[in-house]
Amino acid sequence: MKKTNEFIYFAFRNKKVLVGLTIIVVFLLVGLFGPLIIKNDPFAYLNPMGAQAPSSEYLFGTTFFGQDVFAQFVLGLRATFLVGVIGGGLATFIGILVGFTAGYRGGLVDEVLNILTNIVLVIPGMAVLLIIAAYLQVRSLWTECIFIGLTTWPWVARAVRAQTFSLRTRDFVDLARLSGMKSTKIIFTEIAPNMMSYLVMSFILEFGGAILTAATLDFIGLGPTNTLSLGLMMQYSVLWGALQLGFWWWFIPPGLAITAIVGAFYTMNVGLDEVFNPKLREL
Amino acid sequence: MKRISTIFGLIVILSMLIAACQPAATPAVEDTTAPAEEAPAETVAAEEPAAEVVYDRAETLYVSGAAWGPASSWNPFMTWVHANTTGTVGLLYETMFQFDPQTGELTPFLAESGTWTDATTFDVVLRDGITWSDGEPMTAADVVFTFELAHQYAAIWFAPVWNYLTSVTAVDDTHIQFLFTDPLYQEWSNNLINIPIVPEHIWSAFSEEEITAGANENPIGSGAYLYETGADDRNVWLRNENWWGTTLMGWVPGPRRIVDIRTASNNIALGMILKGELDLSNNFLPGIATLEDLGYVQTYFNDAPYMLAANTAVLFLNTTKPPMDDPAFRRALAFAIDVDTIVNSAYAGLVAPASPTGLLPSLGQYVDQAVVDELGYTYDPEQARQILADAGYVDVNGDGFVEAPDGSEIALEVTCPSGWTDWMAAIDVIATSAQAAGINIVAATPDYGSWNTALTTATFDMTLNNWANLSNTPWTLYNLLFRHPLQEVMGSGNFGMYDSQEMFDLVDALARIPTDDLAGMQAACSDIQRLMLTDLPMIPLWYNGLWAQYSDSTWTGWPSEDAEATHTLPSTWAGYWQLGGLNTLINLQPVPVE
Amino acid sequence: MFRYFRRKILIYLLTFLIAVTIDWLIPRFMPGNPVDNMLARAQLNANGLEIMRGYYTSAFGLDVPVWQQYLNFWVALFHGDLGISVYLFPQPVAEVIGRAIPYDIALLLPAILISWFAGNKFGAFAARSKWLDNTVSPIAYILTATPYMWLGILLAWVFGIVLDIFPIAGAYSFSMAPSWSWAFVGSLISHWFLPFLSLFLVQFGGWAIGMRNMIIYELEADYSHYLEALGAPRGLVRKYAFRNAILPQLTGLALQLGVIVAGALVTEVVFSYPGIGYLILAAIQNQDYFLIQGCFLFIIIGVLLANFAIDIVYVIVDPRTRRGMTGESA
Repeated sequence: MKKTNEFIYFAFRNKKVLVGLTIIVVFLLVGLFGPLIIKNDPFAYLNPMGAQAPSSEYLFGTTFFGQDVFAQFVLGLRATFLVGVIGGGLATFIGILVGFTAGYRGGLVDEVLNILTNIVLVIPGMAVLLIIAAYLQVRSLWTECIFIGLTTWPWVARAVRAQTFSLRTRDFVDLARLSGMKSTKIIFTEIAPNMMSYLVMSFILEFGGAILTAATLDFIGLGPTNTLSLGLMMQYSVLWGALQLGFWWWFIPPGLAITAIVGAFYTMNVGLDEVFNPKLREL
Repeated sequence: MKRISTIFGLIVILSMLIAACQPAATPAVEDTTAPAEEAPAETVAAEEPAAEVVYDRAETLYVSGAAWGPASSWNPFMTWVHANTTGTVGLLYETMFQFDPQTGELTPFLAESGTWTDATTFDVVLRDGITWSDGEPMTAADVVFTFELAHQYAAIWFAPVWNYLTSVTAVDDTHIQFLFTDPLYQEWSNNLINIPIVPEHIWSAFSEEEITAGANENPIGSGAYLYETGADDRNVWLRNENWWGTTLMGWVPGPRRIVDIRTASNNIALGMILKGELDLSNNFLPGIATLEDLGYVQTYFNDAPYMLAANTAVLFLNTTKPPMDDPAFRRALAFAIDVDTIVNSAYAGLVAPASPTGLLPSLGQYVDQAVVDELGYTYDPEQARQILADAGYVDVNGDGFVEAPDGSEIALEVTCPSGWTDWMAAIDVIATSAQAAGINIVAATPDYGSWNTALTTATFDMTLNNWANLSNTPWTLYNLLFRHPLQEVMGSGNFGMYDSQEMFDLVDALARIPTDDLAGMQAACSDIQRLMLTDLPMIPLWYNGLWAQYSDSTWTGWPSEDAEATHTLPSTWAGYWQLGGLNTLINLQPVPVE
Repeated sequence: MFRYFRRKILIYLLTFLIAVTIDWLIPRFMPGNPVDNMLARAQLNANGLEIMRGYYTSAFGLDVPVWQQYLNFWVALFHGDLGISVYLFPQPVAEVIGRAIPYDIALLLPAILISWFAGNKFGAFAARSKWLDNTVSPIAYILTATPYMWLGILLAWVFGIVLDIFPIAGAYSFSMAPSWSWAFVGSLISHWFLPFLSLFLVQFGGWAIGMRNMIIYELEADYSHYLEALGAPRGLVRKYAFRNAILPQLTGLALQLGVIVAGALVTEVVFSYPGIGYLILAAIQNQDYFLIQGCFLFIIIGVLLANFAIDIVYVIVDPRTRRGMTGESA
């Protein structure tokens, strides 16, 4: 476990990782503790004046209906993180499962899984999501997470498969196999730890991807019907003429937050790459 | 790199040109190969010289807010596609009468006069000298032909008129006689302003399919405008210089050309009208109240509600499902809905609360105020709680919401189609205020299709609907609210399946009262209102506005409440041309160039 | 090489088969009846409604057993017949889509190719200089993390409303009839520019970062060090690194296509640009089965063709595939 400590040491000395992590933690804290500071109901029509620019009373101003943009923003942030964790997590999980199985087993299993992966990879997931979402009458955040998870895994599967493939023939794996270890045990004790960096980075990328996918769906009006998300905030602001009426405080924060969070994940990913890959460190 | 970008530039321009220059709607043909890439370069040269590349701003009226989708049909009998080419009836095909909702008068249009010579005979005199746009004269034979089509084909919407119409005869070229058995005067008067007259010399060659569902791509009408061209996001109409209205009556619609723009969302119309790129917007535009007050746009009224009322937003309750089958519950709900917040927050003051009878202000003379005072409702959560408690609805499990008298939990949904932003905000208020009164209702916004299926098959809990347009008779609204007989699919009214023979009889009785018998109509309406407000099978909430905001940067003469202004309806919606929309065009004058 | 292509084609055919089946399946087993929706506002009497419903049901081919509908779907497909649009009745779906396709080509093709070339160029530059790396790379990170529609909204707001330089809706001016004239071409381009720019910028960021990281990888690879040790000029080493880095970028392009298409869909929605994205949204809102199916099919075919094109380019660029060495990895 000395290796892990070494990684953590380098991770905290890497500027990219630090910057990314800080941004994510800040937004996470806002999402978690925002409601403790601002107790406004995000849906209530609070401000009788309608839309107003940010002020001390309303941190991010109010919507066309006089709803508190900050209260909505906090709720949207939570939805965004949830989609990232669940949607991205599910995609990573499926991807890892398929990747390990295909890479370790090889042969026919690999062939079939590889074809499956390629098919799901080529079919534009968003188009499928659009159609499915369009026909679901009531959509919740959870269904959104699940659908995103189910359509975005092939990318991870490919990467994991390739890695497993190369590790499978290494001496230590052969040794483990000769000593009579079960396949699952070999995968989890011998192969997985040696590609932990890959798995972590896959999850990070899937996290960011899931957030972007969810925002796209929400913006088109196919997002959850019973809550609020950053994408839905953008949709509402555009629908209610925020651009034309100049209510910039309504559409800037949600988009900025998504960009910042996803950007932070990507930056962190590159930083981690440098950490895991010592050759890149000197840069 | 440079070469590559040049090639891209060419590809981009060429493909867009090809796209734009394709005809928007062509007849359905078997050959469906996409022509995009293979269009040969020669066509560039072969293309006819462009007559008018840019429309003259001073002669063109830009409107929006009417078209729902790209134009696909110009068939005046396919009412369900009129929303896409809103001028099909009104600009292209015309009706015998017009109706002015502001004065309540039926005015002769294609007809010079129409009179009941006795209780079952209606005589119409057609104007002499009307011509179709191909130059053929319109005669009484065309009117007879139009009505006979509905006799022949049950799929035409006014076919039921033949249930009580026995014959239509052309006495001579301009005289038509309608003979009835048991005339439904109210329905008939509504038909007079809605049935489009089609040319016999063209339509007699059409098959049944072409008549009931054909696209009618090259329409020959009698109206003030001709369909010039269209694309997926616009319809362009060109003034008919030989229109009978000009030659016979001296009416000249101001704009030579009308560009009817379909904006993907209302906010685009908002931006365009602020820039003066749009003259009349019939979109629902949030924030227009402020802009009116600042003088950026004009609306009919100078103050709230700014807009004329177009129809009533009614909350239909599914009376086949508990607890909506209980009049006491329905009554409590009526008291629990905070209409003022809908009006002030969801609409920012652009609408007015509706009379509990649901009748529009223009039909105010048919409201029995005594009945309303006795049985009406206003927002009063205390009263709602009281009614619920009295009827046995109490909160048993302590979750803050009442349970039904039999102890079962109540969890209801109020719906409207997704994307209908104003209604989405309104049902949020309905749900929130009902929750505050202890009724567990949540708002849901399914897509239009699923909403519509639920609506017509009575599988919803409660939902908003406003499908009774501005009309010359209160019967139109009651025909929506109490449509009967009840069927498995209720396509056009009484969505909550309210089953009351007594009510149906009352509505039928109203239909049989002659339109000039004001006292008789008032009495019939009073009976209907008493029963309606006792049972409350649905809850009228507010008047949806006749959304209209106009800019006088290019055109003046817009209607308004001011005494010196005209008072016609500023609307381009389907079905509103004959309610004053056309007259608004006739009153428009170009702003003099300084 | 043939083995490589045989395998690819097999996968594409299978994909097509499955995609078409999904395409046919999803709308049919979801709630709602398009014919009823269409007639809902007709306000017909019961009798007339029945007649029209029967007419439309058979016109749309919904009056035969489900398995036969599926077979008919395939047969019609090979005849280029995608059915009739419900919401634009009676126009054929193929024709409706045919009108939208050129706009998509105009938007996507240049946006994808130019951003790919430009992004790779800039990425390679950035990997070369510390200064560029500190300025361009952060911007690229921000761009690639930006949701397409938000960038679109921002561009529309700044250039369309605040500065009022570019139009933000439609494909050409509302005051023009299509014609082959310079004024009209100008109008087309000014309407095309903002949606193109937002697609371009987001992708540009992605490619620039990808290339930068790839080049750094390659420069740290053993062969680079070996070359350097042999005293090869720096430029030569860079050139080899770039050559090697471009291959994963090409694969990346194939992988990104689906995401880019999704981005184009929302961008079209933001700018009301009349391509497939705009159409698919309208089709969904109107529950137009046939139009949704048609749009989906075109997206699939487009993505498959693009993938195939990239495969061919890959073979040309990478000599190893030609010798059948890496049939496995792609």
